[in-house]
Amino acid sequence: MDTVALEHLGFEIALGTYLISSILFILYFSIKKRRLAEMGFTLALFGFAFQTLALASRWLYAGYPPWVSTYEVMSFFAWAVMGAYVILNVKSDYKSAGVLIAPLAFVLLGFASMQPTNPAPLIPALQSVWIFIHVPIIILAYCAFVIAFVASLLYLFKDKQLTEARMTEGLNRQRDVASKDNTPPSRMPVEAGILANFSLEQLDDLAYKSVAVGFPLLTIGIITGAIWAESAWGSYWSWDPIETWALITWFVFLIYLHAKTQNWSASLAAYIAAFGFISAICTFLGVGYVLPFLQTYISVSTGLHGYAGGGAISGTVLFCGILVAVLLLLLATRKKPPNATRAPPAQTDAESGPTP
Amino acid sequence: MNFAIKVLTSIRFAVATIGVIILVSVVGTLYPGGDIVFGSPLFLALIGILAISTALCSLTRIVPLWRDVRRPQVEVSDHFIQALPYAVHLSGVTLTQVRDSLKGYVIRETRTGKTTFFLAQKGRVGRFGPHIAHFGVLILLLGVAIGAAYGNVNPYNNKIAVIQEGGSQQVDGFALRLDDFNISYYNNGAVRDYTAKVTVLDGNLIQTYNVTVNGPLTHKGLTFYLYGYGVTQSGNAWVAFQIKSTSGLPFVWVGAAVALVGIMLSLYVPHKRIWIKESDQSTQLGAISNKSSARFFREVEGVRTKLESHAHRVDGTTGSEEI
Repeated sequence: MDTVALEHLGFEIALGTYLISSILFILYFSIKKRRLAEMGFTLALFGFAFQTLALASRWLYAGYPPWVSTYEVMSFFAWAVMGAYVILNVKSDYKSAGVLIAPLAFVLLGFASMQPTNPAPLIPALQSVWIFIHVPIIILAYCAFVIAFVASLLYLFKDKQLTEARMTEGLNRQRDVASKDNTPPSRMPVEAGILANFSLEQLDDLAYKSVAVGFPLLTIGIITGAIWAESAWGSYWSWDPIETWALITWFVFLIYLHAKTQNWSASLAAYIAAFGFISAICTFLGVGYVLPFLQTYISVSTGLHGYAGGGAISGTVLFCGILVAVLLLLLATRKKPPNATRAPPAQTDAESGPTP
Repeated sequence: MNFAIKVLTSIRFAVATIGVIILVSVVGTLYPGGDIVFGSPLFLALIGILAISTALCSLTRIVPLWRDVRRPQVEVSDHFIQALPYAVHLSGVTLTQVRDSLKGYVIRETRTGKTTFFLAQKGRVGRFGPHIAHFGVLILLLGVAIGAAYGNVNPYNNKIAVIQEGGSQQVDGFALRLDDFNISYYNNGAVRDYTAKVTVLDGNLIQTYNVTVNGPLTHKGLTFYLYGYGVTQSGNAWVAFQIKSTSGLPFVWVGAAVALVGIMLSLYVPHKRIWIKESDQSTQLGAISNKSSARFFREVEGVRTKLESHAHRVDGTTGSEEI
């Protein structure tokens, strides 16, 4: 089998497994059977292995690292996000994060699959050592922000659950006292639930550590981008939309870090990190504006930041819309009926062995 | 005036300014031609306010910080130690033993009567990280300002020089001659690169360079970028070079590097402090770090358990406390 066919096979399998994994994780969040998360994670691992194969094959036959064209960058981003998720689960158990990671990887690969896949020879402006440094650094930074985003959303979700559980427990206790009932107070479901494997402190810490990795990487990414721009067309900064959005993202995480050193509330920090990630996604996909801009700006070196091609604007709007919707969905007042807390700690939530 | 200083040195104000800059920037990217906002007096004023706020934030904090780090409080009360996030009573362990097992710490010790006070510090430079980063950003902004100011003064900045093959152009006291222009192709016909062979003629200095898309030529504070090319009616190639002044650039790069170092220091070098108070009755130990506390406390806990179990072995009371 040649490397081109191998790449396509690996890509298709990864796309399929990420989709099934997403469905399993979403099911897990609705029916809370631990086995679904284990299966979802195993499938994600499987998909990750095949995507690694696909990217390695492409590197072999294209002759340059797989982060130049739109197709490659999106695919590489999905791979890196999955990689970060896998690493995260080596020492701790953050499998539940798959409910956000797997769909994100699937959507990124889905976008990639809509792009032309043939490797094009590098145009003059992209023939710079900086492409091999600037691009992966930026993608790794975004990857860290994905983890910070997921940790922050899980934090906000868990925080809300705990608050609600405390409220209903308070109500139940009042009722118990009123009826002189001697049965022990109902247990909080949260500690046995889907977010039981990590505490609020751990999630807050994970978000901070991810930003602590991502922020310097983004800084290096912006600086290397400026050096590259300076050597390519003599202007280290020209306020093109992608530069501006990268700076916006940098500013948002700068606020996050100041909020942390000032010990502002952890949920405020979580909101800031979530918005920082949305800004990073806008940077990543907002490149559709840039290509025409560059074409009028310089005649020989078109194509810097052109990886998203011309048609990505609607994609950007769509994607940001989805993200904002997810945020709102998770944070909107989704009150559970109080009697839901009467259920005993579910047996199914006990750690099951590794899925075959 | 005092009020103004108070506002400008507050982190809340700086964060609010950044928030406004973010909003203006978002607006600037939303519609075509919106990038005009980044040259507007409003935007420059916002950046100026942020720069002043950044400078004042650091200036007012760096002196107390320096004092705290260079001349820290070694003699502390029992209450102070007990209020630290990690606080224990040591049994059967002497101060000397603790001192010998702490590696890489800067140690201060004082004695008052029969009480010995001890402070071990590590990673003090991390505390200066934010201020180093602020300083770097200010240098960078200075570079941007110098570049912007000089750009209006230097008549060659942002000009385009069009030179025919074999011809030359006089620029700022020297001349640039185009010797040759080449386009190389991939097998499939796509352009691989453009190369302009040029010679700088500056008095006695005659030097030849290859200018490519990612490889501009810099001479006497002016950089020449490949900008365009074409062929005249007589079949002669011509190349357009964009000329840019390099003034301010060194400040920009040095500032960016300093800011990066500051960011890394503040994120990756935690300031760790261990206080010990040894008296006739007891030995108390308290520890605090400005970040990643869990790992640091494990480190201190490790030192403590090792020393205590050693002490118990010597006493012949091995493990009695543990069981």
